[in-house]
Amino acid sequence: MAEMKKIAPFFGCMINAKYPQFESSVRQTMPLLGYELVDLDGFTCCPDPIYFQAADKLSWLSIAARNIALAEEAEIDLVTCCSGCTSSLAEANHTLKRDEKLREKVNERLGKIGKEFKGTVNVRHIATVMRDDVGYEKITETVKIPLDGFKVVFHYGCHLLKPAEIMNVDDPVNPVILENLIKAIGAEPLSHREKINCCGKSCMNEDMPPKMMFDILSSVENEKPDCLCLICPTCFDQYDIGQIKMNRVFDKKFETPVVYYFQLLALAQGINPDLIGLKWHKIKPKAFLEKIAALAG
Amino acid sequence: MVKVDLKFRDRLAEMIGGELHNLCYQCGSCVADCAAARYSDEFNPRLIVLKTLLGMEDDLIKPDSLIWECTNCFTCFERCPQGVKPIEVIIALKNMMHDRKFSPDAVKSIITSVVETGRTAIVNDTVKRRREELGLPPLKKPPVDELLPLMKPGMEGSDG
Repeated sequence: MAEMKKIAPFFGCMINAKYPQFESSVRQTMPLLGYELVDLDGFTCCPDPIYFQAADKLSWLSIAARNIALAEEAEIDLVTCCSGCTSSLAEANHTLKRDEKLREKVNERLGKIGKEFKGTVNVRHIATVMRDDVGYEKITETVKIPLDGFKVVFHYGCHLLKPAEIMNVDDPVNPVILENLIKAIGAEPLSHREKINCCGKSCMNEDMPPKMMFDILSSVENEKPDCLCLICPTCFDQYDIGQIKMNRVFDKKFETPVVYYFQLLALAQGINPDLIGLKWHKIKPKAFLEKIAALAG
Repeated sequence: MVKVDLKFRDRLAEMIGGELHNLCYQCGSCVADCAAARYSDEFNPRLIVLKTLLGMEDDLIKPDSLIWECTNCFTCFERCPQGVKPIEVIIALKNMMHDRKFSPDAVKSIITSVVETGRTAIVNDTVKRRREELGLPPLKKPPVDELLPLMKPGMEGSDG
């Protein structure tokens, strides 16, 4: 057997402490693709790219730099599984590698706890590891139950793609990465009108976010998919329980099951569905699981 | 009466990303795809940057400022042909507002959560049970004592 490649996952708060089923699905699927997850000690919140950054940018950069410094000490790239964590850590890494003055200021603070940001590792969203290192063909090779005839609508959201020069994931206007990842497990990817649009989670106004959510959910519903696939726990938070909230606000019946990409991959790889926690999702994927069971024969 | 204080521009320029407002030539590219502008009658990133250019501090730095309607989607960062990165100017303005204690409660509660627990999500019994059921290791306590030395003094306090 070929030697396992190593990556250090950064799961962040939402996956660790709210949606552990996503952590489990990454831990179950990556070894089948030839990857060993190396868990580093001492991570904190990335920290939060919206609210924490809104308070003080230098403090935000410094805490992000501390998390990156842990990966530097271990000489391993940091692989993020949440678009929000990527937003914080990739921007800090990008900025501090280029801006000497800011790096000095951050290192002055890090010095107080015996740490230093050197700029020696990369921060990568796990979707890019899947595309660039694992490769779509390899993903397909590990599939035991191709999700034939399964209609999967995908949503990118904002921070996976933008700003493109920092996130380095895909074209911010015409992305294809999620579509290709879904094709790799045999399902049929469906685009939707609002696929790169914002859910409004970080907009601090009472009236606007529900309208933004309504437009995106209507656009998703319009495609009549078996499920909505995301690659970020914050997006999941918005669209899973979010459909129930919007049903109350708008007297609608949105009911598209929502899944994190690695849950779908796990199902296609024939991993026990109990290990990926779909039962804890607010929109119960009953019809969806029956369809998978039928495919598995 | 609109108060114009051009020294405000110097103070903004000292914030990280704040100096970028000087590059704006008011083309409006940032408005076309702005998620907040699509849903708000008032929010307009071009006007926000214009107000910084005119030194209209009182219109920007105040309780319940319109600026908090920004969705943080980074589309203006992508669109701007001048590298103004309007969202970065907006974040600099938010930092100035936090210094003046004008930031919303959501900002303060996230800081408290990070400082006290090292996380933004609460590790409750349900999560502990689910992690166990999935065969995941128990979560370790993040080294929170290493965070305060990295932060601006006073930024975490309820009156800081």
